[in-house]
Amino acid sequence: MSSEAYNPNPTVFVATKTKTSSAFAKRNSIWLTDSEIDLPEDEDEENESGDVEEIDQDEVFDLIRSISDPEHRSMSLEQLAVVSAPQITFHDAPSSDGSPSRASRLTVEFTPTVPHCGMSTFIGLSIRVRLLRSLPNRFKVEIRVKPGSHQSENALNKQLNDKERVAAALENPALLDVLEQCLAGPTE
Amino acid sequence: MDRIERLVKTWIATGKKEEVDATVSELLDGDGALLPVIKALGEFLVSEDEEQRRKGVEFLSLVLEQYPQEKLNRQSVKTLVTFFRGKLDDTETIIPALQGLVSLAAALNLTSQDAVDIVQSVFQHVKMKALVQAQRFKVFTIIDTLIARQRDALKGMGKPFVASYINLADGEKDPRNLMLAFAIARVLLIEFDVSSHVEDIFNITFCYFPITFRPPPGDPYGITSEDLKRNLRQCLTASPAFGPFAVPLFMEKLIAGSPTTKRDTLQTLQAALPVYGASVARTHARKLWNAVKLEIFQPTDEETEGEALKVTQVLIQTIYSSRDATPEASSDDIEGLAKDACEECIRILKEPEKSQAKPATKVLCAFMSTTPSVSRYTLAQAVPHFIRLFLDPDEASNRGPTLRLLADVIIAARDSTLVDADQGGVALSPYKDEVLGVFTVGLKAATTRKYALEGLKGLVTTDGLLSGEELGFVVHNVNEVLSDDGDEDEDVSEAILDLFAAISVITPKHISETTLPLLFAFLPDSAPQRNADAERLKYWRTLAFLKRLCVQQDLFELLVAQLLTKLDLLCVPRPTNEAADATFLEPTAAYAHSVLRTLADTLAVKVGKGDADVPKYIDRLLPRLYHLHILSSLAGSQGYEVATDARLVTVSSQIVTLVVQVQLTQRQETFAGSLFAAFFNGDAKRIAEGQPLLPDDKTFSPFSADASSFQRTLTLLFTSALVAFRKEIAIPVPDESAFLDTLLRWSIDGAATPPQREAVYLAVASVVNKRPDGLSSFLSDKLPAFWSAQAADASIFAEKRRKVISAWAQITRALLMRGHASASVFVDKLFELFEDADVNWDAARALGGLVATDKVLTKRNHAVIRMLYAQKFFNSVLPRIVEGAKSAGNPARQNAYLVALTSLIKSMPKSAYTHELPTLMPLLLRGLDLPDADIRANVIDTFLAAADSTSESKENAVISEHAASLVSTMLKNAMVKEMPSARLRVAALRYLAILPALVRYDVLHPQKATVIRELSKVLDDPKKSVRKEAVEARTNWFKFTGGTK
Repeated sequence: MSSEAYNPNPTVFVATKTKTSSAFAKRNSIWLTDSEIDLPEDEDEENESGDVEEIDQDEVFDLIRSISDPEHRSMSLEQLAVVSAPQITFHDAPSSDGSPSRASRLTVEFTPTVPHCGMSTFIGLSIRVRLLRSLPNRFKVEIRVKPGSHQSENALNKQLNDKERVAAALENPALLDVLEQCLAGPTE
Repeated sequence: MDRIERLVKTWIATGKKEEVDATVSELLDGDGALLPVIKALGEFLVSEDEEQRRKGVEFLSLVLEQYPQEKLNRQSVKTLVTFFRGKLDDTETIIPALQGLVSLAAALNLTSQDAVDIVQSVFQHVKMKALVQAQRFKVFTIIDTLIARQRDALKGMGKPFVASYINLADGEKDPRNLMLAFAIARVLLIEFDVSSHVEDIFNITFCYFPITFRPPPGDPYGITSEDLKRNLRQCLTASPAFGPFAVPLFMEKLIAGSPTTKRDTLQTLQAALPVYGASVARTHARKLWNAVKLEIFQPTDEETEGEALKVTQVLIQTIYSSRDATPEASSDDIEGLAKDACEECIRILKEPEKSQAKPATKVLCAFMSTTPSVSRYTLAQAVPHFIRLFLDPDEASNRGPTLRLLADVIIAARDSTLVDADQGGVALSPYKDEVLGVFTVGLKAATTRKYALEGLKGLVTTDGLLSGEELGFVVHNVNEVLSDDGDEDEDVSEAILDLFAAISVITPKHISETTLPLLFAFLPDSAPQRNADAERLKYWRTLAFLKRLCVQQDLFELLVAQLLTKLDLLCVPRPTNEAADATFLEPTAAYAHSVLRTLADTLAVKVGKGDADVPKYIDRLLPRLYHLHILSSLAGSQGYEVATDARLVTVSSQIVTLVVQVQLTQRQETFAGSLFAAFFNGDAKRIAEGQPLLPDDKTFSPFSADASSFQRTLTLLFTSALVAFRKEIAIPVPDESAFLDTLLRWSIDGAATPPQREAVYLAVASVVNKRPDGLSSFLSDKLPAFWSAQAADASIFAEKRRKVISAWAQITRALLMRGHASASVFVDKLFELFEDADVNWDAARALGGLVATDKVLTKRNHAVIRMLYAQKFFNSVLPRIVEGAKSAGNPARQNAYLVALTSLIKSMPKSAYTHELPTLMPLLLRGLDLPDADIRANVIDTFLAAADSTSESKENAVISEHAASLVSTMLKNAMVKEMPSARLRVAALRYLAILPALVRYDVLHPQKATVIRELSKVLDDPKKSVRKEAVEARTNWFKFTGGTK
């Protein structure tokens, strides 16, 4: 990897978590969760119910937020605001039989911290690999940089969505090694 | 030929140790002089034959080694020294001669002249390169011993000694020898005149830095890399004269080294800089800072970063502490590194939102614990800078990071290790008002709140900084955050609680006078509507807050009073003409439940802490609760009453247990009287003492056959008290056995709900456990008869038999726990049912669960518990179960044994069964085929638990052996199509996820492609929690390669 830093001093953002009713009670319950009364079977009952919990924006975001930045291994892509939940969009596929369609195409957009960031391809690749490994096959994922955020935007987008080039990159053991490190999350 | 001569001859021929021992004792039997040996050896010592000569000297040195020091007189020492010295120039005899000198160097009668003679001969004749390690070790030992015992003599030799020693020690490589060499060099540097040889000594020591030695496996000498590092470090930090040579080299190592080298270098610098002194530190200050800075701003890891910060501190201290000590230097005279570095950091901190701001702040924080003047200077630079930034309208968007960094500085100032003796005041005092100002402003905005709270906590916890009035001001401002919408995130709630906790340590006044009333006012008097989610969330939040805040006794008293008032309002029985409708009242019941839950949880924390104010609540709280519930249970017989809701009663029953268990025997006794009067004699007056009268037109008799369901629910309030009694408390009934029998029959034959039944089983078990002696008719007549009639009889409905089995299991557990003689008879009865197709699984589960932990038969509830009873039980039944599961024949029976095994093993710590795993594994794998999701999940949980202990060695034979079948079974159980239970799917995936860490790659490799392919289907599971585990598992398999890791 090049020793020169593309952005030695990036801005750090902080994620906040909001406490919602789920911390106190089960979904759709007006009763406070009570470990003495709520038997594990009840939980199972809820689990066993036929309700399908669709994959949503937050779930996809959860998959990629903790990837660490290749240039700042101690920070996650989320902390550097390279990825965010609103930058993940689903495109519902038209369903042939009229049943409620299941999303099958999604676009993940990311924002390099500086327009000349040479790590952008690598970041895109790490998002690509994480999603390849973690999303069901039915999803077709498109990865793009945020419009106007990178000087070679088109080339980057093309590269990241070219199956062959992604596959070729993954043949490179050295690259794969760094990739695994980034996917494993921030060092601290 | 005399005896010694004979011994010498024999030894020369055989070389056996016995002859040496015999010679020594022979000598000691005589006059103790060594002369006879030397005489006997005479011909060998001067022999022309090299071998004979060597042997002669060797024998003498061996004898000397064993010879008691005190017997060597001056004359002998002198003779021997001369003798051995003379043998150093002979290549044949040098080795035994060195051995002889090792013994002599420690001799009491060695003179300083001898010492000088020895070292001179050593320097003159010994060629270190020609000797093997063990011999060189002897040379170092001789010098080390002489330095220790004859230091002045060697010092007297002056510079030539130092020069010759350097020559001798140069090029040594063996760790054992180096341990001595480093120690010798340290003494030379500290005590000898090394002025003209500093660089040489430096060269022969620094060349070993950094130590990269790794002891070979099974190293018999036990020298670790740490030992060497320590000795070398002591050597390198022995003299200020090393400074000019060492510092540049340290910087080189720091820049180029591996993380380990960096840490070693940084640690050594911390020790070295104070020794090398201010002048060296000042000369290299800038360069050192640049090198160290890199480790702070681009840290390799947290540990290295910490060491680098420490070096920075040491560097500043070294440079400035002497300056601080001189009175004429003005305290603001801070020219030099501290000023430059501080300014550099402040420059970086102009962009507080950037990633470099954090390390820059860390440096400033480190400066707080250097010298008083630097600390004052830093504070004077940093605090106003952050305040300016905060108030700058252009920087408004960066207020969050600004406050976070300021909070760090405040905390560092608070934790500063400096005792500011001359100042006398608190370092932060000059900035107090401004800082308090920006933090209170910071409270107002969501983005800055968390950091403002951290900063405020820093201020509050700085000794002697804030006045009582200022604390009130802080509390007041935080209260305003609470009165806002209350939509704060979790971190903020935690930070507020943290701050309040810190303040109540100083004084609880502000919180009890302002915060609590505010929070109580947040609690509505009636429950929010079913669809009013926001209001409900708000009271949950408020209660969660109160729960954390009100543990302290005064605050808890307030809490109890307030919440009881709320409960009274919520639980007031409806007039009979109003249709009491469960759906309509459910929100009220849910609210009341939350209130009770808060009380119970807070009490549980207090009981856990052993608070002394808990017992009094038997008078203040329990009568109110009993009254509340009994009153409602008498109100009507149909419809719904809030206070008779089973969930509320359950929480109240927990409160009863918590309060009753901490009472002394006497108080429990009177309480038992009121309790039985209320539940069995229709006299509830005493248990609700001090409360308004209960209506006397209806009787409270919850255990009677015709009791209303309301009243039956309240039986929990009886059993929960009973289980908390001490063993001295006699049940206030004429016949305890008959009483327990009635209770048991009520639970099995009556209309009790499952929780009521369970509670009675536990209550009966609790009495059996504590007072078995008075229960012989119950244990040996009534129960066995009951069992034969109700459980063993296959013509009885299975459902009823199951109840009896559960009750039986609880009683069996009570007996097992105290090691009662009849326990095994009870256990056997359960085994007997394994043959019975209708209830064998129930019996098996009950058996397996006998020693599972429970919350009722506990030490707190005064249960009688024998040490290791669970292990004993496990060891006694396991062979029986294993045998039963393996035995041929009836598969239903075998399965029952498997069920028993899976539930038994789940309740055992892994250490109990780890060594049995090879036997158990095949059985547990069979358990995975049983058509029951719970059992399978139990098995997998057992595998997971067992895996933890073995994860250190990859040589996990048992798992490796079954790897293929484990993988396919887990995959099958992970598929939603095959397995409807999400819990089981999750468990199976968790196990798949850890398998790569348990089994060697070459064993598991054939499964990799299948696992990855199959898991891709699980990624589409309908449940989020399952998908999460699938992602984890699949990632682990992707990463699983044959590479060296």
